Amino acid sequence: MPSAMRVLVVLGALLATCPALAANGDHRGGTLRITADAGAGTIDPQINYFSEMIQVQVVVYDGLTAFSKHPGEASNHPVADLADALPEPQDGGRTYVFHLRDGIRFSDGRAVTVDDVVASFRRIFKVHAPSSGSFYAGIVGASDCLKDAEHCTLPGVQGDAAARTVTFHLTAPDAEFLDKLAFPHAYVLPADTPPHDLGNDPAPGTGPYRFVSYDSNRGMVLDRNPFFHEWNAEAQPDGYVDRIEYSFGLDDEAEVTAVENGQFDTLYDNVPLDRYGEIGDRYTDQVHIEDVFALYYLAMNVNLPPFNNLKARQAVNYAVNRRAMQTFYGGEGAASIACQYIPAGLPGHVPYCPYSRGADNAHPVEHWAAPDLARARQLVAESGTEGQHVTLVVPNRAVEIAMGTNLQNMLRAIGYDADVKPIAFAIQFNYIQNSSNKVQISLTDWFADFARPSNFVSALYGCGNFHPGSDSSPNVSGYCTPALEDVMNRAMSESLADPARGDALWAQADRMLSADAPGAPLIQIKKIDLVSKRLGHYTATNLYHMLFSQVWVR
Amino acid sequence: MLMALLGRLGQTLLVLLGISVLVFAVFFATPGADPTARIAGRNASPETMAAVRHEYGFDRPLPVQYLRMMDKLFVTRDLSSFVDHGQKVVPEVLRAAPVTLSLVGGAAAIWVAASVTIGTIAAAMRGSWIDRGLMMLGLVGISMPVFWLGEVANLVTQSRYHHSWLFSWVPGLGYVSLWRDPSGWFAHLVIPWIVLAVLFIGIYGRVLRADLVASFDEDFMRTARAKGLSDSRVLLHHGLRTSMITFVSLFGLDFAQLVGGGALLTEVVFGLPGVGRLTYQALNNLDLPLIMATVMYSAVFVVLANAVVDLVYLLLDPRTR
Repeated sequence: MPSAMRVLVVLGALLATCPALAANGDHRGGTLRITADAGAGTIDPQINYFSEMIQVQVVVYDGLTAFSKHPGEASNHPVADLADALPEPQDGGRTYVFHLRDGIRFSDGRAVTVDDVVASFRRIFKVHAPSSGSFYAGIVGASDCLKDAEHCTLPGVQGDAAARTVTFHLTAPDAEFLDKLAFPHAYVLPADTPPHDLGNDPAPGTGPYRFVSYDSNRGMVLDRNPFFHEWNAEAQPDGYVDRIEYSFGLDDEAEVTAVENGQFDTLYDNVPLDRYGEIGDRYTDQVHIEDVFALYYLAMNVNLPPFNNLKARQAVNYAVNRRAMQTFYGGEGAASIACQYIPAGLPGHVPYCPYSRGADNAHPVEHWAAPDLARARQLVAESGTEGQHVTLVVPNRAVEIAMGTNLQNMLRAIGYDADVKPIAFAIQFNYIQNSSNKVQISLTDWFADFARPSNFVSALYGCGNFHPGSDSSPNVSGYCTPALEDVMNRAMSESLADPARGDALWAQADRMLSADAPGAPLIQIKKIDLVSKRLGHYTATNLYHMLFSQVWVR
Repeated sequence: MLMALLGRLGQTLLVLLGISVLVFAVFFATPGADPTARIAGRNASPETMAAVRHEYGFDRPLPVQYLRMMDKLFVTRDLSSFVDHGQKVVPEVLRAAPVTLSLVGGAAAIWVAASVTIGTIAAAMRGSWIDRGLMMLGLVGISMPVFWLGEVANLVTQSRYHHSWLFSWVPGLGYVSLWRDPSGWFAHLVIPWIVLAVLFIGIYGRVLRADLVASFDEDFMRTARAKGLSDSRVLLHHGLRTSMITFVSLFGLDFAQLVGGGALLTEVVFGLPGVGRLTYQALNNLDLPLIMATVMYSAVFVVLANAVVDLVYLLLDPRTR
C-alpha cells in the first residue's frame, strides 16, 4: 500500500501542475458509457439529492443562475444562466430582479417563459423538496407554503411576462441567494410539470442533453436536446458526445475492471482501496484526482456525558491520529488532513490548528503534525470522565470500520471504556442525527451543496439545524450557542456588502468552534476518477465532479 | 384429494401471512429504519418531514400501514419503492425473474448432467482411485464459497487473462436477453452457470453415489443380476432409477429456493439483475417495499416447491399415499 500511495501522490502533483488540454479539432460524437453500482433515486430534479443524479442533471437542466462550468476555483461561483445577467441586490439585499433570456426552449420545443420560472419555485414547496425549508425558506410566503403546500402561491416570486422579469422578495438579506438559485432544486421546469414526485418520468429541460429513458434499476440514456443552442458557454456549454449511457448493476470492483477493459468510460462509485496500487501503476494516465469540499469528522454529543464536558471533547481532538485516518482513506493522494471545521478552498478557511502536539488555543499551528496523547490523558483526568463507557457509531463500510477500530483504541488509550457500533450505511446518518438514540460520538462525512462556509458551519453547528428527536437534524452534536449564532448571522448579513469582512467572520466562527470542539475534523477527501483510454478532455468542477458535456470519446 | 389441496393452500397463506408480518415488524422495530428522513432528503425541515410522513402514511398505526402495504402489493400491485419512487416493485420483481430463471435453469442443467455422470461413474468404480478422486473433487466443490469462486472467475476471465486468446470472447459482466441476442445471452451466462453449479455438482454427485452404492445390496438389484442382465444395465436401468428419488426431491427444493432469490451471491458477483440482486439491493438500502416483494416472491416459490415435492412423493412412493 505505501508504494500505491506514493504513486497517487506523485500522480496528484503531476495533474495539479498540468494545464487542461485545450479542446481542439472536431471531437463531437460518440457515446459516453458510465457504470454505477445502483440507481440514483427519483429523476425529479427538484427532489433528488444524490450526487450521482445531480452530476447528470447539470447537463440537462438550468436555473436562473448556474455554477460556472469552468474547472477549478471558477466553478465555485454562480453565473447568469437562464437569466441574462446577475442582478444587483436591491432594498438592502431583500429584492432581486432577474431578466429572463429570450430564445431558450425546453427539449420538447416549448419556449421558456416567466410563468415556468414562477411555477418552478412554487413546485419546490409543492413536492416538498428537501431544501424547501432551508435554502428557499427566506422567500416571502415560503413559510405558508411549507405549512400548506397544496395552496402555495409564494407571493415572494413575481413574474412579469411582458417585461420578461422575475422578481424575488426575501424576508431578510441573503448573501448566498444566487448560490441557492444555482442549486439543482431551483432548476426551471415547464409550468405544467405535475406537482408530485416524477419517479422515473423525466421532465423536459433546457441543457444540451435530454433524458431518453430512466430505469432506476437498470440504467439511463440521454441524447442531445434538439432545441439546445449555446447561450453562455460558462453557464451551460454545448456537449461533445452525442449520447450518454449510464448502466447500473456492477459492484465497485467489477466497475473498475470494466473501465480498465474499455467496456465503460468511467465509473460513478469510489475506486475501492485495494485497486489504488493497480490503477496508480498501470493506468496512471487514466486517473484524475480532484479536490472535493467534503469532510470526515467525529460528531460529539455535547448534551450527553462524557462529551458534555469541554475537556473531554478537547482530549479527543488532541488524541485522534489524523494521519492514520488519512491512511485508512487511501493516503495523501486520496485525502488531506483536516483540523478545521471549514474545509480548505472555501472562503473563511485560514490555516489553523490548536490540536497538534505542542499547540493549544493560545498557540495554534497552521497544520496538524502529530497527536498529543499525554495532553489528552491529562485533560480526561481533569474532566473527571475517566473510565466512562463510550460507544462510537460508524457506518458499516470497510474504510469506516477500520477508522472506527483505530478510534476505539484511541478512546481506550485516553481512559475511556470504548466500544464501536457499526450500523448499516443506509441508515447510520439518520440514526446518529436523532437525539433519542443517545449517540455519544459518531463518525460521519459531510459534502458541500455550494462553496460557502455556511454549508459546514451553520449546517452542522447552527441552532436551526438541531431538531431533538428527529432523524433529520444535521447538527449531530446538538451544539447551539448564542455566541456562534451571532457571529454566523453577522457573517451572513455582512458578506453581501463586504465579502472580505464576511470571510473574516466565518474564520472567527471556525476558531470559536475549534475552541469549543463539538466535533473533531479528521480528513478532507478527494475524488479519484478512473476513465477509459478513449476518454479525453477531462473536465471537472468542484461541486459536480466530472462534467459529462465537456469530455469527449475517441 | 381436494381437501388435501385446500389444506395445502391454507397452509401456504398462513406461511405468507406469518412471513410478511415478521418482515414488517422487524423493519419497524429496527432503530433508525424509519424511512421518512431518507425519503425527505438531507437536512429536510420539520415541516417537510411531517408532510412526507403524512403523504406516505407513516403517521398511521402500524396495523393500518401493514394492511395498506399488503393491499398495494397483492391487490392493486402499485407498491412503490421507498428509495426509487418511480420504481413499482411488483413489475420490477417480475422483470427480474427471467434473469434468475436463465441463471438457475442453465446451472441446473449443468449440475444434473455432471452430478449424474460423476455419481454413476464413482458408484460403478467404487473403491477405486477414480471413485476417491471424484469424491474428493466433489468435496472441494462443496467447500468453495460461491462468491469467492465467482470473484476468482472474474479475476481470471475479466481482469488478469481477459486479453488472452482463452478469455477474449468473455463479454463484460451483466445480462442480455435471450430473445434479443441468444449467443450474447449464452456468453454472458456460461461462466455464472458453471460457478453456481460447482457446489451442487459436489453435493448431488456424492448423494447419488451413496444411494447407488446402498442400492447394490437391495433385493431387486440382486434379482436383476440373477436374471443375467449386464452390469451397466443393472446400474443404469435399475439402480439409477430408484436412487434418483432422493436426488429429485433434493433438486426440487434447491431449484425453487434458487429461483426464489437464493442465487443472490452469484447474481451480485456477476452483475446479473435478477431477483437475488434485487433482494441484495433492497437489504442494502433497507427498502421495505422491495424487501417485502422479494421475500414474498421467494416464499411463494419455496412453498410451491414443497407442495410439488410432496406430490412427486405421492407418485413415486405408494406408501405415502
